[in-house]
Amino acid sequence: MKIVCMVKIVPDVDKFEYDFESNTVVRDNVRMILNPDDASGVGFALKVKSMKPDTIVEVVTMAPESVEPLLLDLARVGVDRVTYISDPIFSGSDSYATSKILAKYLETTSYDCILTGTHAIDGDTSHVPAQLGELLDLCQMSNVIKIDEDALDESKVVFTVDNDTSVSTYEMKLPGILSIQKESNYKLPYIKYEDINKDVNDQINIISNDDLAFEKGKVGLEGSLTKVNRTFVKEYKKRNKVVVGNDEQGIETVYSFLKDKGFV
Amino acid sequence: MNKDQIVQSLIDLLSKDQVNTNHEALYDASADRYKKYAKARKVLKVPMPLAIVYPNDTQEISELLKFCNKNLINVIPRGGKTATEGGLENWKDITIVIDALHLDKIIKIDPYNSQATVQAGVALQDLEDELRKIGCTTGHSPQSKPVAKYGGLLATRSIGQFSTLYGGIEDMVVGLECVFPDGHISRIKNVSRRSGGPDIRHIAIGNEGSLCYITEATIKIFKFYPENNKFYGYLIKDVETGIKVLREVMVNGFRPSVARTYSEQDAAQHFYHFHDNKCVLLFMAEGPKGIVEATGQAIEEAVEKFKDGIIKQVDSQLISDWFDNLNWSQKDIDDEYEGMIENDSHAGYTTEISADWETIPKIYNNVIKKVKSEFPRAHDLTMLGGHSSHSYLNGTNMYFVYNYKINCAPEDEMLIYHHAIQKIIVEETLRMGGSMCHHHGIGKFRNEWSKQEHGSAFYMLEKLKEVFDPKGIMNYGTIFPQEDAIKKYIYKG
Repeated sequence: MKIVCMVKIVPDVDKFEYDFESNTVVRDNVRMILNPDDASGVGFALKVKSMKPDTIVEVVTMAPESVEPLLLDLARVGVDRVTYISDPIFSGSDSYATSKILAKYLETTSYDCILTGTHAIDGDTSHVPAQLGELLDLCQMSNVIKIDEDALDESKVVFTVDNDTSVSTYEMKLPGILSIQKESNYKLPYIKYEDINKDVNDQINIISNDDLAFEKGKVGLEGSLTKVNRTFVKEYKKRNKVVVGNDEQGIETVYSFLKDKGFV
Repeated sequence: MNKDQIVQSLIDLLSKDQVNTNHEALYDASADRYKKYAKARKVLKVPMPLAIVYPNDTQEISELLKFCNKNLINVIPRGGKTATEGGLENWKDITIVIDALHLDKIIKIDPYNSQATVQAGVALQDLEDELRKIGCTTGHSPQSKPVAKYGGLLATRSIGQFSTLYGGIEDMVVGLECVFPDGHISRIKNVSRRSGGPDIRHIAIGNEGSLCYITEATIKIFKFYPENNKFYGYLIKDVETGIKVLREVMVNGFRPSVARTYSEQDAAQHFYHFHDNKCVLLFMAEGPKGIVEATGQAIEEAVEKFKDGIIKQVDSQLISDWFDNLNWSQKDIDDEYEGMIENDSHAGYTTEISADWETIPKIYNNVIKKVKSEFPRAHDLTMLGGHSSHSYLNGTNMYFVYNYKINCAPEDEMLIYHHAIQKIIVEETLRMGGSMCHHHGIGKFRNEWSKQEHGSAFYMLEKLKEVFDPKGIMNYGTIFPQEDAIKKYIYKG
């Protein structure tokens, strides 16, 4: 069985600090990370591989070369092949152009199941998984919180979806696309200390437009029809700190606060 | 002799009740707080000792050591289990732990001569409680006070929070008894002072179980004047200002019992109720009223001299309250252990070093800069700072404090995070001429730098080892570096 995991490298938005004086987000020294939902997808695929060692796991991403160290680390935790699609012509692609690029690559490779994240913490449009389904003529489901690894084979997958109002279990014919949420708690394994500097270059597959042959103007900024109407920085209110003593009054203050918020 | 035969021999030497081979107890005895996270997650990759034995007296310890020496069995002496540098970690397949559990008698409290004699397994807190009943104190108060025992305190050259007045444990020990691997029992007599050749107390004090087993100690006791205590606290501009004020008080000849300076980050975790994101300077003056008054005045004069760096004074009650809740009890240790099982986190680590007044701020600044720029996982740091908490006429210590998000497997955490940070601290300190180990001992995780720490004087330590422990049965890998074991148990070679 072959599982392809689509991933995105994103800025760690949790590390953004907010400057209450200038009402701006401070982005200095913010690192790039593997999108948490996508990491859960890879985590699940590697779990399957650990149970069924003949499973092949390929990670596919579209990213600039600067994120290569993060991708090498995926090979170091057990991913068989890491494909990254990178070409200046792709720069500035909107979600639809990105989906076209990814789909064109996927048409050249084999797979039984495609895993993606449901949301990305940077853009959060959730367009790409559904657009890939459309372009590849595959079924696609988002908000997956559990996949039955015992029932998984090349022909079908049984999984659970949480759509906020209900939790349902489905069976889907494969090949197909499942978009996982980090709430699934499938965890990406850590790199073993011994493998931190392991040479994994032979597992890296770099794809450029020489391989995909898009015409100029069909992808990248020029080929992206999405227009951004307005961007704004979410405003945060500074909260006042209340310090209480370890006494009756302090306990009462904390209890009232928790009661007020509905925790007790 | 196979493992079963060794255990049977131990039972024959002592009794069945004095030999513990319970799996859980042996796992617990495999490592100390240096690998606390891996230990809690049950992924320790070191051999378990064959048994923990609980001798009843010095003679039994002598017999045990003779037996181990004859049969080349590694021995780890153990007291309150609060070691932090690997002194209690086991690096040998054939090892027994000799626990001071039954050496728990306070032999004599002698207020007229200001001294008390205790067995190695007496908990510091127990003696302190007894002394308070007669208006005295040990003057020794490490954070581990509720748990630590006298054997361990002596063996690691422990220090307490009131050391600036009372001194470290080495200043308190009058005499002691210890047992060497050949079974010889040495008693160093209790006198106020003598010039009878080199001070041989210091062969045992700080030996970390690598030369002998300490069975008994006589220590000084002090009159206690809690009603006179005075506290002083200040928010200050930077660590350098704090160090300057500490120095001013010390070189002018005053001995506050507590004299501390905290970085902003460390202050934030200790003084959440008043730190205001600033550094903190604090003092406690203790002793007879006249001395307290004079010390208080000296503190205020020193603060005035460096007033450009002082932001404001804080309510002294806040400092007093903080001291009352500073020590960690067995429950605190157990709670952290449980927390590490449930969460990918722990309460952080420390590395303590010392140097002269001039050098300590340079080491502090260099280390902070280097950790931020050279530590590969600097982005995972959630806390990095430090405090000076033990001052002397010619210098002070620096207690580096750090914590981090753990983004690695539990078995790799020590090497990827704690040891990597400690390496930067130790190497920078040694480069600057300081000492890499102010009061936690060398243990097993700083022994790769033992020779650098002591330089040409390491010769003296090596000779002591050759003479007192020629077969190398005492706490293998502690203080004295063992290259193969360092590769295997630290660097996974």
